Amino acid sequence: MTAERFRQYWLPAIGASTVGILLCWYLNEPFGLLAPVAAIYLYAPGRSSWWFRAVWTIALLGSVVAAAGLASGDLGHILKWTAFFTLALSIGEIIELKAPTIFGADALEAMRIVGSMPAYTWSASPDGHATYVSAGTFAYTGLQPATGGLFHLLDNAAWRRIIHPDDYSGLMDKRRESLALNIPFDTELRIRRHDGVYRWFRLFGSLSRDEKGKLAGWYGTMIDIEERKVAEEALQRNERQLQQLIDAVPASIWSTTSEGRPTYVNKRFTQMTGATLEDITAPDGSLRLSVLHPDDRDDAMATFKRSLDTGEPYFKRYRQIRSDGVYHWTETRAEPLRDHNGTVIKWYGQSVDIHASVVAQQALEQSERRLQLLVDAVPAMIWSTTPEGQPVFVNKRFMDVTGTTLADATGPDGMPTLCTIHPDYRADARRMFMEAFATGVACMKRYPQLRSDGSHRWSEVRVEPSRGENDEVLQWYAVCVDIDDEVQANEALRESERSLRQLVETLPAMIDCATPDGEPIYRSKQLRDFLGYNLEELDKEPSRLAATLDAGVHPADLQGVKDRYAHSLATGEPYARRHRLRRFDGEYRWVETRAGPMRDAAGAIVQWNVICLDIDGEMRAQEELRQAQEKLARASQAASLAELSASIAHEVNQPLAAIVANSHACQRWLTASPPNIERAHRTVERVIRDANGAADVVSRIRALFKQSGEKRNISDLSHVIAEVCDLIAEEAARRHTRIAVDVEAEVPQIAIDRVQIQQVLTNLIRNGIDAMDAAAGDKIIHVRVSCQSDDTVQISVSDLGSGVEFPDKVFQPFFSMKEQGMGMGLSICRSIIDAHGGNLWVENKSQGATFAFSLPIKSRTFAR
Amino acid sequence: MNEDCIVFVVDDDLRIREALVELLASYGIPAMAFGSGGEYMHADKPDMPACLLLDVELPDISGLDLQRRIAEHGHPPIVFITGHGDIPSSVRAIKNGALDFLTKPFSDADVMNAIRSAILQDRADRTVRNEMSLLKRRYLDLTPRERDVLPLVVSGLLNKQAAAQLGISEVTLQIHRRNVMQKMAATSLADLVRIAQRLEIPLTDSRRAEESDRA
Repeated sequence: MTAERFRQYWLPAIGASTVGILLCWYLNEPFGLLAPVAAIYLYAPGRSSWWFRAVWTIALLGSVVAAAGLASGDLGHILKWTAFFTLALSIGEIIELKAPTIFGADALEAMRIVGSMPAYTWSASPDGHATYVSAGTFAYTGLQPATGGLFHLLDNAAWRRIIHPDDYSGLMDKRRESLALNIPFDTELRIRRHDGVYRWFRLFGSLSRDEKGKLAGWYGTMIDIEERKVAEEALQRNERQLQQLIDAVPASIWSTTSEGRPTYVNKRFTQMTGATLEDITAPDGSLRLSVLHPDDRDDAMATFKRSLDTGEPYFKRYRQIRSDGVYHWTETRAEPLRDHNGTVIKWYGQSVDIHASVVAQQALEQSERRLQLLVDAVPAMIWSTTPEGQPVFVNKRFMDVTGTTLADATGPDGMPTLCTIHPDYRADARRMFMEAFATGVACMKRYPQLRSDGSHRWSEVRVEPSRGENDEVLQWYAVCVDIDDEVQANEALRESERSLRQLVETLPAMIDCATPDGEPIYRSKQLRDFLGYNLEELDKEPSRLAATLDAGVHPADLQGVKDRYAHSLATGEPYARRHRLRRFDGEYRWVETRAGPMRDAAGAIVQWNVICLDIDGEMRAQEELRQAQEKLARASQAASLAELSASIAHEVNQPLAAIVANSHACQRWLTASPPNIERAHRTVERVIRDANGAADVVSRIRALFKQSGEKRNISDLSHVIAEVCDLIAEEAARRHTRIAVDVEAEVPQIAIDRVQIQQVLTNLIRNGIDAMDAAAGDKIIHVRVSCQSDDTVQISVSDLGSGVEFPDKVFQPFFSMKEQGMGMGLSICRSIIDAHGGNLWVENKSQGATFAFSLPIKSRTFAR
Repeated sequence: MNEDCIVFVVDDDLRIREALVELLASYGIPAMAFGSGGEYMHADKPDMPACLLLDVELPDISGLDLQRRIAEHGHPPIVFITGHGDIPSSVRAIKNGALDFLTKPFSDADVMNAIRSAILQDRADRTVRNEMSLLKRRYLDLTPRERDVLPLVVSGLLNKQAAAQLGISEVTLQIHRRNVMQKMAATSLADLVRIAQRLEIPLTDSRRAEESDRA
């Protein structure tokens, strides 16, 4: 028992007891003993023992009953005493509670101080019940002292109410820990304010033990750390954000100490390089540039060291390894962080992958180089100007070829001097350029351009603008190409063309040029003069070619010409034809037209070239010659005179020789002795016979003019006629006459002198052709063979001419209706037919005449 | 002239054949007529002096070609008759040995003369031929030894020289010589020489043989 305690508790206890006793005495009630009971209660150790509470509760009940007068007698007394104890105990508690305030001035002072502190102080009993809670706490939590409980100001239940549920278990753990380890606890938790808002508090609690070491109670304080917490959280959030930022930034961020020891690398650094902070830290803690390309390490290290020493910002480009093992160009900058004194605290560095950029840069440089090469290598002179026309660039070739530089080409006013353009063409060119620059329209010009040797050569320049997004002109670009050779070649070509044209015009032949379809496109002067009209005058027709042919070619030749020409145009075969062409004066002249195709490199026809030669004179001469030949042939069909004479001789000599011999023999017989009359007679007979034979021969020869023997053979008439047609075919074709042969099936073979009959047929057919010479329409000779009766065969030759004017006279010798001709033909024919035992006559038909002859099927002798 | 002889007439013309045969008959000369070259060649002809009257224009073969054909074998002299009468033919005919070339119509005198000459010639030829065949026969009758002796004798060698050359005695030689003379029917040495010449027995030796050889 300390003096303090005596003062605090004992004095009041004694005092209260004395008063109590006096009261009891007076009132004759036990209530007076409250005081000493209360004193006893004050010393009672511990608190909140359950049996205490039980007793207390019973006592309370009892006192209530006694007070109510419900119980009487002894029970009443028991109850009163119970109530009395209970009250006493309660008073004790109250006194205990109030003891510090009632009994201790120091304590009171302490309490006052404590209470005035703006902290939420508290104390609690060992089992956790709050024994003191500062006013502030109450104010904050909104709890009322009274609501905390009857006997305790704040109990666990109450604590539970105000502590955030999530933090309560933490608090318990801490308390347990504190108890176990005998250390103060210090925890953070949320406590509910009177308005329901939870705020963070830091709860300190320390154990209090009495002299015996027993736990006396808890003492503690709470500090509102809400702001701090919020700030902390904000700070943490910021830190997190910052960390995220640092990690998200597409740059590797690292930091080192002021000596250069690595202290931090951001996530990206690790991601990118595959190296962690440990990897770049050497065992001694210094920086190890393991992520750099071996070749770049030394240089980078040196530079960094210089920066460390001088404090200058560090900047380096080097190759840094990637997590995939590839080295990428990286740009690193580092700057020092200085404190307020300027001393370097830390170095912060940032590395950015510039590989793409470096590579792109290299590519760009290369591309630029190539472009430059291109611009200089292109075999064209290139220059460019501003939109206003001020020269800004000439390529190397321009300078080499023209011998002028950009400076030469630019005047003092910045405008082009056009010194490369020939003086005579300069003004015009300037005008054109200026207009182009003004209007923005591309242009082209040809002029003689200066060369480095001082000469001028024709060049073609094309100028075009380069436009921007809004269609405004950004720059003018021009290309000059040397066209001098071309110009010269063109000139030469023109000259050549001119001379060729002149040649064609002056050639003494009629020349025509036509498209691959045959349409005439050019006629030489000779042809134009011949035809008498120009090419254009035929243009009203659908086809010039058709018009030309229709207008010019003789009707008889027209179809043939058209057909052949069409064939040539279609097949590409050269064309050659003789036909009559109408001259300007209306006369038809024989011409030979030849056309040949002109092909290009691929072999396709590009033009037809036609030449037309007047062969009229020739044709006429040829015709005359032919006619003369024919005449001659007809007249002397029996070949040469020598042969004729030889054959005559032979034919005649044979019988003559026999006659002579026989005559002599006869003479001998007659002059013999005796004369042999009989034999003489025989010989004379022979003489007569042979003489007749000779005469026959003579007459035959005379009639026929031919020497071959009188051979008669069984012949097939169709063969005979066929041979005749062969012989005469060409002539007939030339004269556009067709020969139609019609032989009846049952015509027998007859004995004829083949050659003679052929002669007759030839003669008749020729006559027919001649008769139709001037006829219009189709020219056909009909040759028909038929059996007229049992013993004769008839052959007729019909034409479509104008008929025979004198049918009776026509067979007479030396009678002819033709200009040329001896008129022997028909009389000879008649002789031949007569000799065969047939007849030859003529009939006039509705159109033309028919000559017919009959031949006996049975042969007859020669006898006249 | 009218002794056995015959004329062959080859002509394709019947009239000529008849006339000629008639004419010849009137002269008493027999004739055989043929119509073609082939007919003549294949026919059996009597062996007597003859003449061939040949026409140039024959159906199967020309007269001139026939002339060439039969030239190898013996044939009678040819007289050509022709109706043409060109110079080249006649020249060719004569060159090839024809006797005459007549053109028709011919006079009887011409033809008969020609025939007569032909027959005469043929007769003479036949005679010569006969003689020659006789001589040949006689020569073949000689013994081989006699045939050895003959050229030596006609070469003009003396008996003893010839004997020496043959290696026989002169007497033997003389015997051979006599036989030769007899068999060859030579009347004298000169005659024998002529015979030998006709037989174309070569002179093998002569007195001057060595000299001429050396020369």
